Amino acid sequence: MDEIEIDREALLQTFLEEAEETFVHMEQALVALESRPDDDELLHGLFRDAHTVKGAAGLVAFDTVRDLSHDLESVLERLRKKTLPVTDVLVTLLLHSVDVLRGAVSSAAGGAQAGSDVVTAFRVRLAEAAAAAAPEARAWAPGAPPSPPPGSGGGDGGEAPTPQPPAGGGRSLRVDVTKLDRMLDLSGEIAIARGRLGEMLERGAASHAEILEAHRETDRLYLDLQELIMKARMVPIGPSFHQHVRTVRDVATSQSKQARLVVEGEDVEVDTAVVEYVRDPLMHMVRNALDHGIESPEVRRAAGKDPTGTLVLRAYHEAGSMVIQVVDDGAGLDRKRIAEKAVAMGLAADGARLDDEELARIVLEPGFSTAERVTELSGRGVGMDVVRRNVEALRGSVAIESERGRGASVTIRVPLTLAIIQGFKVGIGDEVYILPLDAVVECLELPAAHTAAPTECGVVNLRDKPLPYLRLREHFGLDGTRPARENVVVVQHGTQTAGVVVDELHGESSTVIKPLGVMFKGIPGVAGSSILGNGRVALILDVAGLLRETLRRAAAREAAAA
Amino acid sequence: MGETNDAGRVQYLSFSLRETEYAVGILKVKEILQYEQTTRVPATPRSVRGVINLRGQVVPVLDLAAKFGLGETEPTRLTCILIVEAQLEGAATVVGVMADSVQEVIELGPNDIEPTPAFGTQVRVDCLVGVGKIGKRFVLLLDLDRVISADEKEFAREVAAAPEAFPTEPPVAPESAQEQAARS
Repeated sequence: MDEIEIDREALLQTFLEEAEETFVHMEQALVALESRPDDDELLHGLFRDAHTVKGAAGLVAFDTVRDLSHDLESVLERLRKKTLPVTDVLVTLLLHSVDVLRGAVSSAAGGAQAGSDVVTAFRVRLAEAAAAAAPEARAWAPGAPPSPPPGSGGGDGGEAPTPQPPAGGGRSLRVDVTKLDRMLDLSGEIAIARGRLGEMLERGAASHAEILEAHRETDRLYLDLQELIMKARMVPIGPSFHQHVRTVRDVATSQSKQARLVVEGEDVEVDTAVVEYVRDPLMHMVRNALDHGIESPEVRRAAGKDPTGTLVLRAYHEAGSMVIQVVDDGAGLDRKRIAEKAVAMGLAADGARLDDEELARIVLEPGFSTAERVTELSGRGVGMDVVRRNVEALRGSVAIESERGRGASVTIRVPLTLAIIQGFKVGIGDEVYILPLDAVVECLELPAAHTAAPTECGVVNLRDKPLPYLRLREHFGLDGTRPARENVVVVQHGTQTAGVVVDELHGESSTVIKPLGVMFKGIPGVAGSSILGNGRVALILDVAGLLRETLRRAAAREAAAA
Repeated sequence: MGETNDAGRVQYLSFSLRETEYAVGILKVKEILQYEQTTRVPATPRSVRGVINLRGQVVPVLDLAAKFGLGETEPTRLTCILIVEAQLEGAATVVGVMADSVQEVIELGPNDIEPTPAFGTQVRVDCLVGVGKIGKRFVLLLDLDRVISADEKEFAREVAAAPEAFPTEPPVAPESAQEQAARS
């Protein structure tokens, strides 16, 4: 093993990435095989995949993976030769073997080299299936896959019926070499332009106009480079959609429902970070649609619908945003039950009148669930909260539409790129904060009556409507003296409108977002940071978080006073 | 932790913090900057001085003195920020730590390092990897990963008995008047 030790790390990384791609491909093919059992191309493809995994696993000395893929290959070989019929049970078993393979890969990557019991037990099962003429004889409980082996996936993998793809090493991206070449060219051109500019400034002979011209030239090249880098970060959304082919099949089977997944707009490109953020929300939305939306075949038939429900995953671009829709033709949201529950939970005053917007707000509330019992799939009221949080983290929005008996759709809108937003700069003392411009409605001066007695919160009259405001200085506990005049920035989040009181307004500008890092995870009201023209760091405020934190503090104060 | 040469000697960078000399393995230190004003981040413990722009990267800066319960640092001409790479929640993270002044690069062999005394140091014992001897001087060798990931409150409890210690205070209280007084 010594001779391969040198490149093992790199080799392993490549293997892990390719293995995951192969597994996803195998899952798609297996699900397709169920509806087209005679499609030889699918079987050939599957066989090739199993063979690829076997070869690659041998190369990185993952013996358990190699042996298991070998067994899988034997079963596929028999399918190919038609000595074994393709049945639902067998497909389930094969899908399961992909899970076990995936688990074996991640535990082997984690260092557990010895053949784990799960794999050994599974290989026996697979061998039996291959040997048996009638695999149906072996009843296989589809709803009870073994727990994922340690080290596989992460996050909430525990509650998921399908294992998550391994999280390790996922932060890499394949970029077209020609794009990289162009970047290199551009950076070279920038170097030359900078040199020219520097020389002009050093000699001091060039006129102001000439220097300005040289500067503009450099600027233009820089913007080209920036655009190119942004483009290189764009990846198609397709693979994130295709992952759910498997989810839909498994969830539908375990609930004795019939559903098919239709994917639209898989070529739509989106920033790679967006893809990561929408992965979990997509999973929750798909599960919700299947669990709550799609009815059982009997109910659907009785309602005069196709017994097989359709779930559409759709992506398209719309005015600087990317839109992802999950549409089902199921029962729709049960307004009455949601309204009752909302009133019971104190989320709505009057259950009778709920428009779509109100409905969306309630459904997305943390902990909200109408399910009477918590199932394996949903009912904990966590899912839609994850959707809301992740989408808000991307500065996006969630909308829900529903028609009783006809189906429901969840639409999420996220910005195309995460790297740049239009920001509105405000100042408090010598600190500068940035509010996302799309949250800003208007600005006004704080009336003198309110500056006399400074409090953290208050209410001003805005065109005969009460506008609650919070003073950012007090809210963040900043020191320094208050100026004679203060300004109110009116911000909006959903249907909520509020004022944010600051010292100065600095105006709008394009803002490059920088992450704040693990140390500042989850600070309420702060979304990220950006670097100002003078080199200092400014914090980007998260309006939704700011309003939530203000409400929380107000509630805490009231509780303390009571 | 540091660079080892043939004799098994390791290089450390020493710096002072309120009259006490500390040192960290030199390979941990990426660069040394003169102190610059930081951008405060709300709702963080007082030991988090804020963030700075390090050539386009936003880097958190920790006030080690405040972390050890010695009060917040008033920057002087000699105040420095050591840019170090620390392990935080399993990931390598670039962090700046403030020092009153940077002293020198020292080289310590295995015989120059004594085990940490059971008590008596300003810093919690488990944040030290040992005590280095240079002639008659002692240098406290810091385990930066441990220091950076440790909770400030834990420190405050440890040093509460020390006369120069700051009163304990929950870290998430940005609007506290006390804190503002301490800062201004």
